[in-house]
Amino acid sequence: MTATQKQLPSANRPKLERRPRMNFETWSWYFMRISGLILVFLALLHFSLTHIIYDVVETDAEFVASRWENPLWRIYDWVLLALGLFHGLNGLRWIIDDYVRRPGARATVKAVLYSITAVLFAYGTLTIITF
Amino acid sequence: MSPESTVYRGKSGQWAFVLHRITGFLVFFFLLLHVVDVSLINIDAELYNEVHELYGNVMLRLFEVGLLGALVYHALNGVRIVMIDFFPGSIRNEKAMFTVVSFLTIVLTAVGGFIIMKPFLEGTAGIL
Repeated sequence: MTATQKQLPSANRPKLERRPRMNFETWSWYFMRISGLILVFLALLHFSLTHIIYDVVETDAEFVASRWENPLWRIYDWVLLALGLFHGLNGLRWIIDDYVRRPGARATVKAVLYSITAVLFAYGTLTIITF
Repeated sequence: MSPESTVYRGKSGQWAFVLHRITGFLVFFFLLLHVVDVSLINIDAELYNEVHELYGNVMLRLFEVGLLGALVYHALNGVRIVMIDFFPGSIRNEKAMFTVVSFLTIVLTAVGGFIIMKPFLEGTAGIL
């Protein structure tokens, strides 16, 4: 063993073979990457359809009705709604943890965020189902 | 130790991070608004059309160009993050990837923005 190798404290060296502990934060980290990759396609295609391929003024109630006649578009829109909301929710949770330091304020801001997201998720789902 | 030495002065990676947060934040709040405006269709289709027409005015068209820019940046930089995470060797090209992300964001937003603003440029969209 050379001198330089000996100087490296082995305890501080990352063990690359070790698997991460699958706790909630690990799952949320994977969720962000997987939902993000799916959203790249879903969100950009949705925006292109409603702003580039069709002009925004063309996407009136009739346009929505003709699109939602096809259940596949309803599923598409619902997946976009669900992944978009929860990807955004988790991102904001990380932002709050970084910038809202006082425990009371942090709990309050999170409670407001979670409530708004839950209500709008239910409301958006209802809109798609009951149309 | 001078006070300045405690301030983190990052390079491209830090700007990529800051922009990712800001654009994500903006897109999320637009999504909240968007859930509400679409839901009007179940209350009254005429009301939906009236509110929806607002998206065709110039102010909101500019807002939509901004939304496109935020969306494209967040999507492309997200892919950059995933690449760095899952292909550790790509961290060496982190700066080049940020340059590509920035370039594509500007080009795609400019092209899409031109199409969005076209009705205004042709004089068929109202000011308000």
